[in-house]
Amino acid sequence: MDICTTYRHKLRDEQVNSAPHLRSTTLIATLEISPPLAAILALSELCATSDAGTMFELVKALNEGANSLRRNSSNPISLNAGCELFIAFVTLFPHDSVPSAVRADPHCEFEAIIEFAEKIIPHRQALTYRTKIAELSVDFIKDDSVILTHSYSRVVMESLLLAHRRSKRISVFVTEARPRGLGLKTAEALTAAGIPCTVILDSAVAYAMEKVDFVLVGSEAVVESGGLINAIGSLNIAIIAKAANKPFYALAESYKFHRLFPLSQYDLPSHNPGILSFPSPVETDRAAEKASSSASSESRSAPGAPLSSSITQEQIAQNNPDVDYTRPDLISLVFSDVGSLTPSGVSQYLVGMFH
Amino acid sequence: MATPAPNPPTIRAVENLAWKLRRRQIVGSRATALETLLVLRQVISKSKFSNMEQLVTIIRGVGRRLVEAQPKEHSVGNTVRKVLHHIREEYHTATQGTAVTATTGFSISKFVLLGQPRKQTAPPKTENKGTLKENDPDDPDSFARGLKPVLMEAIQDVLDELETVYDNVSKNALNHIHSDEIILTLGMSKTVEHFLISAAHHRNYTVMVLETAPSYGGRDMAQALSAAGISTFLVPDSSLYGLMSRVNKVILGAHAILANGGMFAITGSLLAATAAHAHCTPVVVCAGQFKLTPLWNLYHEYGALDFGDPSQVLGFEEGSLVDKVDVVNPFYDYVQSNLIDAFITNDGDHPPSSIYRLIKETYDDEDNEL
Repeated sequence: MDICTTYRHKLRDEQVNSAPHLRSTTLIATLEISPPLAAILALSELCATSDAGTMFELVKALNEGANSLRRNSSNPISLNAGCELFIAFVTLFPHDSVPSAVRADPHCEFEAIIEFAEKIIPHRQALTYRTKIAELSVDFIKDDSVILTHSYSRVVMESLLLAHRRSKRISVFVTEARPRGLGLKTAEALTAAGIPCTVILDSAVAYAMEKVDFVLVGSEAVVESGGLINAIGSLNIAIIAKAANKPFYALAESYKFHRLFPLSQYDLPSHNPGILSFPSPVETDRAAEKASSSASSESRSAPGAPLSSSITQEQIAQNNPDVDYTRPDLISLVFSDVGSLTPSGVSQYLVGMFH
Repeated sequence: MATPAPNPPTIRAVENLAWKLRRRQIVGSRATALETLLVLRQVISKSKFSNMEQLVTIIRGVGRRLVEAQPKEHSVGNTVRKVLHHIREEYHTATQGTAVTATTGFSISKFVLLGQPRKQTAPPKTENKGTLKENDPDDPDSFARGLKPVLMEAIQDVLDELETVYDNVSKNALNHIHSDEIILTLGMSKTVEHFLISAAHHRNYTVMVLETAPSYGGRDMAQALSAAGISTFLVPDSSLYGLMSRVNKVILGAHAILANGGMFAITGSLLAATAAHAHCTPVVVCAGQFKLTPLWNLYHEYGALDFGDPSQVLGFEEGSLVDKVDVVNPFYDYVQSNLIDAFITNDGDHPPSSIYRLIKETYDDEDNEL
């Protein structure tokens, strides 16, 4: 079985299924499935089809599956969280919970694990996770509040829409979130649902912060320090929110809890030497030459024109990170389906889970 | 399942307390907690139930009634939650092995929950006395008969904790107050009073007490402290900021401690805590664990405040003014968690960030809404 195909299948499958809903209801996106969950589903399928005879072999097969998923993914962080959680679950969890009669027989235990693995995540469970989080966070959204959110997050959408359904008059600022521009998607969906929503430039966050009551963001992963990994720009927002003394809330399903302890941006698994690299001197010379020649040959009549139009958006995006790490001291609360936690609470959970 | 109604005498006891709470004949978190506990004890001893659910429903019903009577006295709800938690615990010990625990499905979410801070498992106090049989058709009272003595013991435990709360809070006062320090406090808090007096047995230090207008609880506090032989200054509220540079530590009492580590405390506490923050003076809060409230400050900072009697601010003797101004006298301040350095409780000292964990250990999640 090719695990990568399964994974992609899982992701796509759900999206295809949810497509009709996109048109018919405002409950968009909630039916989609996120990478960690797809990874868990793919791995549990691997469990079910694997011919491993012992626990050791099963874990090995799972690790291999997880590795190949990682290799084939451009942004492995959230996917990794899912894989790790599942493997830890398989290796640690059942030992305490299998009935003692089963525990006596190692082979039975092994079969029991596979059985658990198969039913561990019913497809719709992702939905209940988000509903739970939305229920938790909706208490924190008071009537008449102005919320700043970043990029597009399914769980944030669910919370905002729930607040709207509960007749809370909210209005939302959403950042454009370059380079992917997913903020536009959020804006469209919210406007369609009847929530006043304005897209702001990523560079206008500080300008807008004064009007904002609190910040609500989703997450790629929540890490052991209690910090947060999310689409690039979240750190900026968190720092500005802290400076303006505004609460910064993160929403994270529990399958996004990731056993990772980054100390800086450069400790993230998504970091590679290409990110933020300076061009080599040769390239710089050439670029400068080009710029000067174009400046001299073409007229100087357009002072407002960009200095060098030779850099494209794609080139910028290529050298830039996709995600950033937000330190725990900048986060007010993390809402998860296990409860609303302080960042230190998140780290207690994570430490407790894997040790 | 029909819930057996509690019999008339217990209803009367509950209503009685509800009215007292409503009329504010009982105020203060410890007093209300004690009264609630006594009523609960009466309810449990008198009520008829033949299984766990019925018992829990009865207690919840009583709890809801009392909380609705005075929603700002958080310790009422806390006591009910704590009793429910103890009851469940005793029930599980008593029925260990006999009751079939519902096997729920396994899920990642449950696995994550496993990582939650481990509850301290107290050694089982009671040995398994026979088998407890729920819903016995021949003898519907057998369950209640079997469980009641254990429950009474559990309630007694809670009661003991409440009664010894001052002693236990002040147990390690010596570690917090050093010789020749200047301590600032405000309002009248029995917990803080006991704490300071117990430290005074071994240390020689000075206390500054703010008058704490408009209730002037600070005056009573100053009197009590100086009667105990502590060198005490009573200072007006307005001099707070000026004095802060000379203060080594601010010790406050609390009305309720919230899950995020913030607290409700007597008006003036926020001012004192903010001034202390500006001077980097440590702020320490003394409170019993019955004040732990499973609430997050839900933005309703203003609405969550309790309003006191406006006549303390503007009396009727100034009649010509009374109908020209609106007088508000908020009784409590909400102090955010980042302004507090430590909570000294009857069960150890805790930073604000681990309060939520204590709350998870003390109450069952399902009881957060009674």
